[in-house]
Amino acid sequence: MFRVAVEMLMHDKTKFLGLLIGIVFTAFLVTFAMGYFAGFMTRGFALVSENPSAKVWVMDPAVSSAEATINMSDSALDSVRGVAGVEYASPLYLGDVTARYANGDFQSFQIIGVDDATLSGAPLPADLLHIPNSVIVDSGGTEGKLQTPIYKKDMWSYDGSHLHAPTRELRYGDKMLVNSKRVMVAGISHTIPRFPPRPLLYTTASNFKRLIPGEKRYITFIMAHPAKNVTPDELAKRITQTTHLKAITSEAFKKETVMWFMINSEDVGDMVNMVILAMLVGFGVTGVMLYMFTYENLKQYAVLKAMGASTKQLSDMIFTQVFISALAGSGIGVGIAAVLEQIVSSPTFPFRMMWFAPLVGFFGVIIVSMTAAFISLRPIKTMEPAIVFKL
Amino acid sequence: MNSIIVSCKNIVKTFNAGEAEVKALQGVTLDVYENELLMLVGPSGCGKTTFVSVLSGLLSFDSGACEVMGKNIADMSDEEITAFRGKNIGFVFQAFNLLPSLTAIENVALPLTVAGEKRTKALNLSKKMLEAVGLGKKAYVKPSGLSGGEQQRVAIARALVHNPKFIICDEPTSSLDHTSGQVVMELLQKIIKEKGASMIVVTHDNRIYKYADRIVHMEDGKIIKVAS
Repeated sequence: MFRVAVEMLMHDKTKFLGLLIGIVFTAFLVTFAMGYFAGFMTRGFALVSENPSAKVWVMDPAVSSAEATINMSDSALDSVRGVAGVEYASPLYLGDVTARYANGDFQSFQIIGVDDATLSGAPLPADLLHIPNSVIVDSGGTEGKLQTPIYKKDMWSYDGSHLHAPTRELRYGDKMLVNSKRVMVAGISHTIPRFPPRPLLYTTASNFKRLIPGEKRYITFIMAHPAKNVTPDELAKRITQTTHLKAITSEAFKKETVMWFMINSEDVGDMVNMVILAMLVGFGVTGVMLYMFTYENLKQYAVLKAMGASTKQLSDMIFTQVFISALAGSGIGVGIAAVLEQIVSSPTFPFRMMWFAPLVGFFGVIIVSMTAAFISLRPIKTMEPAIVFKL
Repeated sequence: MNSIIVSCKNIVKTFNAGEAEVKALQGVTLDVYENELLMLVGPSGCGKTTFVSVLSGLLSFDSGACEVMGKNIADMSDEEITAFRGKNIGFVFQAFNLLPSLTAIENVALPLTVAGEKRTKALNLSKKMLEAVGLGKKAYVKPSGLSGGEQQRVAIARALVHNPKFIICDEPTSSLDHTSGQVVMELLQKIIKEKGASMIVVTHDNRIYKYADRIVHMEDGKIIKVAS
C-alpha cells in the first residue's frame, strides 16, 4: 500500500508540485523568519559575543541587558578582583557621544572604553589604542555614516558651507571632535554589527574619561575570568554573594538580553509578531493544502475501501503521503533558507541561521502536516463508501 | 437448485434529504443463487444502486435482514464487513474507478495488495487475469492510455483477480459503445461460468438482458417483477 500511496501522491504532477511549493514556502518562511529574528538578537548581544574570554559579566543589580545600562563605581573593580576564584577582571565603560566630523557634520556613537593596561574588549589590533587620544571606529552595522571630507579645503570650517562637500570613508589618521576634544582614528574595525545599528568608538578608559568628564560612576561592566577548577556559574555566584553586584555567565547574559529586547523593544515585538504571523500563515496554508489534497482523492480511498482496505490501511496511506510531502518540502525550504543565508547575510542584513531556526522550520512543518493528516482522516473515516457507485 | 449466495429479506432504507425523507428501499426481498447472473433493472432512482450498496455492506440499512454467503452483514462491524467484502466480493463500476496513478496491472492487483499479498505474486496473478480479458499487452499502460472498453475490462479483471464468490456490476456497459458492451458482457458471462461465481448486474441497457439468468425489475424502491 506504501507504493500505491506514493503513486497516488505523485500522479498529478501539477497538484503535487503545488503542494510541495506550499510546504517549501512555509518551511522557508518559518526558517527565514527565525533566522532573521536570530540575526537581530545575535546583534543585540554583540558586545558579549565579541568578548569570548569574559565568562562572567558583572553589572549593577538593576541591569538586565547589554543594551540598557547604568554604571558602577570604580571600587567595584577592586571588589570583584578580590573575590576568590577570579583569575582576572577587566572593566568596560559604555557611553554615548556625538562626534563632529571635519566638514562640520556630526554623528552619534556608542563609545566603549577598555582597560588601559590590558586593552581587553578592544578589537584587534588593540594596541593601536596606545596612540594618544586615539579611537578605533566601527560601523556597528550602519552604512555610510563614517564619512569625512575628501579635500582639506572642506575641513574644520563650521560655517555650514562644507556640509555637502564630497566625502570618503574614515581611515587611519583622520580626526574628529568628541565633546570639543580632538581624537584620531587609529583604525577601522569590523566587529559584530549591533542591534539597533549604531557606529562605535573604541578607546582606552583614560581617553574615555577625558572625552566624557565629570561622571561619578564610569564602569558599566566588569568582565571576569574564572581561575582553574572554578566554573563560570560558581564564580558568578561567589561574586554576587561577596560584592552584592549582579554577576552572571556570558550565556545567561545573552539570554537575559534577548528577553529584555523581547519585553522592552517595540521593534523586536514587531519582529516577533512577524515571525508568529509567518508561522501561522505558513502552517495554515500547509494544513489546508494537505487537507484538500486528501479530500480530492476521497473517491479513490472509497474504491480501496470497497476492495477491503481497512481504515488503518487508508490512514497509513495518508500519513505516508503527508510525511513524504512534508519531508521533501521542509527539507527544500530549509535548504533554500540556508543557501540564502550565505548569499544575503551581511553587516547590513541581520540573518543568522542558528541551530533552532532549521529545527523550528523542519519540525514545525512536519508537526503541522501530521496534524493536517489527522484532520484529513475525518472525511476518510466518515465517508460513505457507497460513493463509489456515484459518477 | 443451486445454493443461495445472497438472501435479503424485507430491506428498508430511507435517506434524509433536508426535511424530506426518501424511501429508497421499501421492503426488498431477494435471493441470489450460486452461479447465477442476475440483472437488476428499472428506471433511475428506483433503488437499484442503493440495493447493491446495501448487500455489499457499503451502505447500512434501516430494517430487514441480509445474509451474504451465510453471514448476516447487519451483525458485522465496519472492519469485519470491509474485510469480508475484500475477500468475497468483486466490483465493476459504471465509471470504472481505476486509480489513474497506477498501471493496468497495478490496478488489477489492488484487491490482492489490499489483502497483503506479496507484490510479485499479486502482479503475476494480475498479469494472467489481464491476459484472460485480452489485455495482456496493455498491462503497463495507465488508464489514461486505454479506451473506455479497455478500462472496463481492466475493471473486470480487478473484480475477479481475487476469486470472489459474488460480483456486483453497476452499469458495466453504460459508458461503452454497443460493440464494447457486448464484448464486456460476453466476457463477464464466460468468467462467471468458469469461476462458478454469482453476479448482480445493475443496468438500464436492455440490449444486454439476453445474458441474464434472471431479470429483477425495480420501481420506487420495490421489486415489481422477476423474470427468468
